[in-house]
Amino acid sequence: MLARWLIAVVIAMLASACGAAGGTPEALKVGFIYVGPVGDYGWSYAHDQGRKYLETTFPDVKTTYVESVPEGADAERVLTQLARSGHKVIFATSYGYMDTVLKVAERFPDVVFLHCSGHKRRANMGTYFGRMYQASYLSGLIAGTMTQKKRIGYVAPIPIPEVIRITNAFVLGVRAVDPEVNVHTVWTNAWYDPATESEAANSLLDVGVDVIATQSDSPAPVQTAERRGAYGVGFNTDASKFAPTKHLTSAIWNWGPYYVEAVKQVRARTWKSTDEWWPIGTGIVGLSPLGPVVPDTLKTLVEQRTQDLIAGRFDVFWGPIKDQSGNLRIAAGEKPADEVLLGMNWFVEGVTGTLPK
Amino acid sequence: MIRRLALEKRPDPSPRLLYLLSALAIGIGLLLGAIPLWWMGTPPWEAYHEMVRGAFGSVYSLSETLVKATPLLLAGLGVGVAFRAAFWNIGAEGQLYMGAMGGTWVALTYPGLPAPLLQPLMIAAGCLAGAFWGLMPAVLRARWRVNEIITTLMCNYIAILWVDFLVYGPWKDPRAFGFPFTPPLPQTARLPSLPGSRVHLGLLLGLLVAAGLAVLLKRTRLGYEIRIIGLSPGAARYAGMNLGRTTSLVMALSGGLAALAGVCEVAGIQGQLRHGLSPGYGYTAIIVAWLARLDPWATIVVSVLLGGLLVGSDMLQIAMNLPVAGAYMLQGLILFSILGVEFLAGYRLVWRDAR
Amino acid sequence: MALVPVLLEAAVRAGTPILLAALGELLAERAGVLNLGVEGMMLVGALAGFIVSQQSGGPWIGVLAAAIAGLMLSGVHAFLSVSLRANQVGSGLALAIFGMGLSGLFGKPFVGVPAEGFAPIAVPWLAEVPLLGRMFFQHDPLVYVAYLLVPSLWVLVYRTRLGLKVRAVGEHPRSADALGISVVVVRYSCVLAGGLMAGIGGAYLSLAYTQLWVDNMTAGRGWIALAMVIFGGWDPVRTALGAYLFGGVQALQLRLQAVGVTVPTYLLMMTPYAFTILALIAASASRARWRLGPPTALGTAYTRGE
Repeated sequence: MLARWLIAVVIAMLASACGAAGGTPEALKVGFIYVGPVGDYGWSYAHDQGRKYLETTFPDVKTTYVESVPEGADAERVLTQLARSGHKVIFATSYGYMDTVLKVAERFPDVVFLHCSGHKRRANMGTYFGRMYQASYLSGLIAGTMTQKKRIGYVAPIPIPEVIRITNAFVLGVRAVDPEVNVHTVWTNAWYDPATESEAANSLLDVGVDVIATQSDSPAPVQTAERRGAYGVGFNTDASKFAPTKHLTSAIWNWGPYYVEAVKQVRARTWKSTDEWWPIGTGIVGLSPLGPVVPDTLKTLVEQRTQDLIAGRFDVFWGPIKDQSGNLRIAAGEKPADEVLLGMNWFVEGVTGTLPK
Repeated sequence: MIRRLALEKRPDPSPRLLYLLSALAIGIGLLLGAIPLWWMGTPPWEAYHEMVRGAFGSVYSLSETLVKATPLLLAGLGVGVAFRAAFWNIGAEGQLYMGAMGGTWVALTYPGLPAPLLQPLMIAAGCLAGAFWGLMPAVLRARWRVNEIITTLMCNYIAILWVDFLVYGPWKDPRAFGFPFTPPLPQTARLPSLPGSRVHLGLLLGLLVAAGLAVLLKRTRLGYEIRIIGLSPGAARYAGMNLGRTTSLVMALSGGLAALAGVCEVAGIQGQLRHGLSPGYGYTAIIVAWLARLDPWATIVVSVLLGGLLVGSDMLQIAMNLPVAGAYMLQGLILFSILGVEFLAGYRLVWRDAR
Repeated sequence: MALVPVLLEAAVRAGTPILLAALGELLAERAGVLNLGVEGMMLVGALAGFIVSQQSGGPWIGVLAAAIAGLMLSGVHAFLSVSLRANQVGSGLALAIFGMGLSGLFGKPFVGVPAEGFAPIAVPWLAEVPLLGRMFFQHDPLVYVAYLLVPSLWVLVYRTRLGLKVRAVGEHPRSADALGISVVVVRYSCVLAGGLMAGIGGAYLSLAYTQLWVDNMTAGRGWIALAMVIFGGWDPVRTALGAYLFGGVQALQLRLQAVGVTVPTYLLMMTPYAFTILALIAASASRARWRLGPPTALGTAYTRGE
């Protein structure tokens, strides 16, 4: 009985399996995998905005996206399925996909794989990222100027080097304006959980901060700050709608131009595997429009610093930089290589908060 | 004389009826699922075609379905045997993580061992860790009558956080730039797999375990005890069985099997212990066990089908541009239908004289 | 230090969504129906509440919509579990998955959209009480709803005839049936009420705690609510204690960080769960006169005449 049923199912499967996949042979198929849902209004949302920009810029490109793909076993299958179904360019938008992308790239040498925020490459696999820390630094300049209590709260998600680096950049910006300001950090240990992020903001406000900056995916901390009369600095996406009066700025991603450029290169067959870490001048990272409370003098300062960064006259992590314990980590005049930045696992001076062990 | 429709329990549903109804259930599920699909502008028939193709339509797809089915099978068997003894083990997820941890510990501590020695050790260590993790709630219930649904559920969170602690802390790969992974396990620790696919030893182990459990349940004294305890604890006690001891044994077995799923995921697929190792296999295993009516052989079939459903759902996103939420809805609707149709298996409508 | 008052205030705030959902589930389980789909019901409630509130400008209408959404979703479970005698574990799990999908799908246009939501209201006179006023009486209105629900449910379950009927159905449906109590009506009502409250619990997250919607924003609170029902021994007051305790530990962990205390994060995060187990053991081992076990007929379907 069981056997009969199994046979019936197998026949049904095989019958159904016959049939070719559809799709215009001409259109270039580009695939995206996201580690979270597009509806997180954060990291994956920003990537998806970039994907949509790509679609509107190149109407003959057909994009596919797969959301909430857990890193690990499932990612390998999804990447393989994308490669097998005719996608010629695939963007993997999370560090955790790295080894998986490497593995799959080996099996599909005629597909271009682009891995976000990683550091391993192959002939047909490159990496890409944006120097968000530069935008974060600029937001720190603003926060540091606007704080009156000289205490700023920072809601941080998960303690990976990227998050630590961006936090450090923010603090450096704050202390560049006022070396007496202290930044308190709280880890929520989740990429997004708006209620917990809001509670984290509350806990910071309860210790007397008057600016809340966040690196978590949702704008909840900024919203909470507005409700309690504190300034807010957002991340990933523009949080101004959630804090109309007290929003200072948000350090945001703008992946669209990069995606367009990458696809352009692939089509023109000029693409080569590199580690692309696009700086602020390219538009991949930036600040959202500054809020109404930001005075013009501050706007000018930020503009100046932005130009300095673009022109290469200055960068965030040029020494001297000390860590929390006062040790000199980056010497005066030193311009640290990207590797140092990529592996950053210490907080700069001025941070009240610990890195989970 | 007025007659009315009444429900009457079916005395002995034949296996053929059950399987027929299962097929009917899937059919209804697909029909129900067509509604949201159509509402979202996705042609349902094409969507289902893609789903089946994505799950079973090529050697690659089939292999991936089997890969997905393997942890579901192992954990499903574990959950099934516990449920048989009426011990509601919701903790398969945590037991899975403990198993993964145990196996990883052996591989990281004794990397030099040759594979034929290393892998059995890993499996043994993982299963022991899982058995212990499953034993704890059993002892708590036996000794202090603490409800096992909550203890096993809480133990899940604790186990996952414990693994997080390890991968963010002492076991973190120093070359992984601070990301929460252990170093990759040595090649000798990797379970052998079929060439050209990711199907690994774990599947074979799962099949063997299913056979073993079938024998255990039907032909051994322990199996007999388990079934009696599950059907009527009162009768079991009356017959002089030691409920506490048997239940503990069952939970050790259950935890060990879920843990085996964890070891296999690390050693067979992922190659390292990491945060988020399991996308909820332990919870899906509950659905598997229940759909299979706790029968080991049926668990094999169900885990493959459910694995296919999950793998096929990915193809829906890829081929049909369906958002992941659509896939969830579809899965939920199919499960609802199977549940609803169950009813026809257990009961039938008859005309009765109204009293 | 001023830690304790703000901590308790935060505990109440963090515990409320869990409590609202748990109270609803408690009612359903008292009638003998296990509904594991709390997470799904909270999500649809959160979304429905957000959408209606955002479109109409009124948070209370949003709460009403959330309640209805939760109720409707739980209706599916009620139909399957009560009328079709389906396995309750499976039905609940399917409901959770379905709810995730439903909310994710319909929520897409509302991601990144702000809404007015609730603002904290100070209870007149009570809010002036030193210390306690700040802790308990300056919250969003839904917190006060939860406050009122706890004793109301307690009275309902233990002191009313309706409560007696509910408990009878949950303990021994056959006897209840013989006494003329309609098992079907009682079970349906309790499951639907459970869904209603879970929906409100979800709305709290999207309208009060925060005023936004993102995918899966309940972040597992539905499962915690299920645990809290068992932790509380199916008693409304103890469930409330559990929910607030749970919220409190989470709030504590955040506040310790805010003042720079070195926190072994993961170990600290384990504490609510470990604590729950310990508390259960303590309660079971003690000679407390409380009824500790689950309703006898929890999780089993009932058919007349078998």
